[in-house]
Amino acid sequence: MPSTILSAVRTPLATALSGVTANIFSYVPEQVPVPAVVLVPDSPYMEFETIGKGTFRCKLNYTITCCVAYNSNPASLDNIEQLITSVVAVIPTGYDVQVVDRPTVTQVGASNLLVADIRVSTWYTQTA
Amino acid sequence: MATTVITGRDLTLTIATTAYDAQTTSVTLVNSPTIDVYQTLDGKAYKHTDDQWTLNVELLADWGAASSLFEAMWTAADTNPNTTLAVSLTAVTGAVFACNVLPVFPAIGGAAPGAQTDSWTLTVVGTPADTFS
Repeated sequence: MPSTILSAVRTPLATALSGVTANIFSYVPEQVPVPAVVLVPDSPYMEFETIGKGTFRCKLNYTITCCVAYNSNPASLDNIEQLITSVVAVIPTGYDVQVVDRPTVTQVGASNLLVADIRVSTWYTQTA
Repeated sequence: MATTVITGRDLTLTIATTAYDAQTTSVTLVNSPTIDVYQTLDGKAYKHTDDQWTLNVELLADWGAASSLFEAMWTAADTNPNTTLAVSLTAVTGAVFACNVLPVFPAIGGAAPGAQTDSWTLTVVGTPADTFS
């Protein structure tokens, strides 16, 4: 059975992130218990950068969304900065950490969250 | 005749029997001809005197990986710098070019953020052989 993106890319990244003091999701949850880290595909999701087509190979782009409660602006900003720092520190080798987007306030359900996206990329080759 | 487009995804590259497709983002086999120009009483005259082919490869670095291509090229350049490596470049099914290149030392390092990459300019010994079918 060939390797999958789930087993070769998303699970290793989620496992690495599990060391962070936050709730980790490899998908977008309906409810977001903060602090939370959510791994979602970025756009473009797959880029084909290498030659040849005998083997499926691509560059995968992801957004790691960091969420903290938005109660006090100074405290929330400090919290999300600490969460971003801890997430970036555990991203494993082979993942290209690019930028962190500006934190924004997002309403999820009845609560406000302070949210920032970390953009990462990696390369995937399907193996037998 | 219908338009036929071939792309970089149609390319395959083998150096010293090892496939480099997995790391290669660009490959070109180009010729730099030497053409002498003479100004005669009847105008310009041209003489094609020489050809020097070059294999240009742009790659993602894979230091430390199992069967690392960068480490293989480093070893070849370090231990046998004057021994050519056999190259097979397939432009598309039915158009294959074979040549021999001299190894080069890969560059080490890169910029943050971003993948470590390198560009190799490999001198071709002789003239590539074509196989069209």
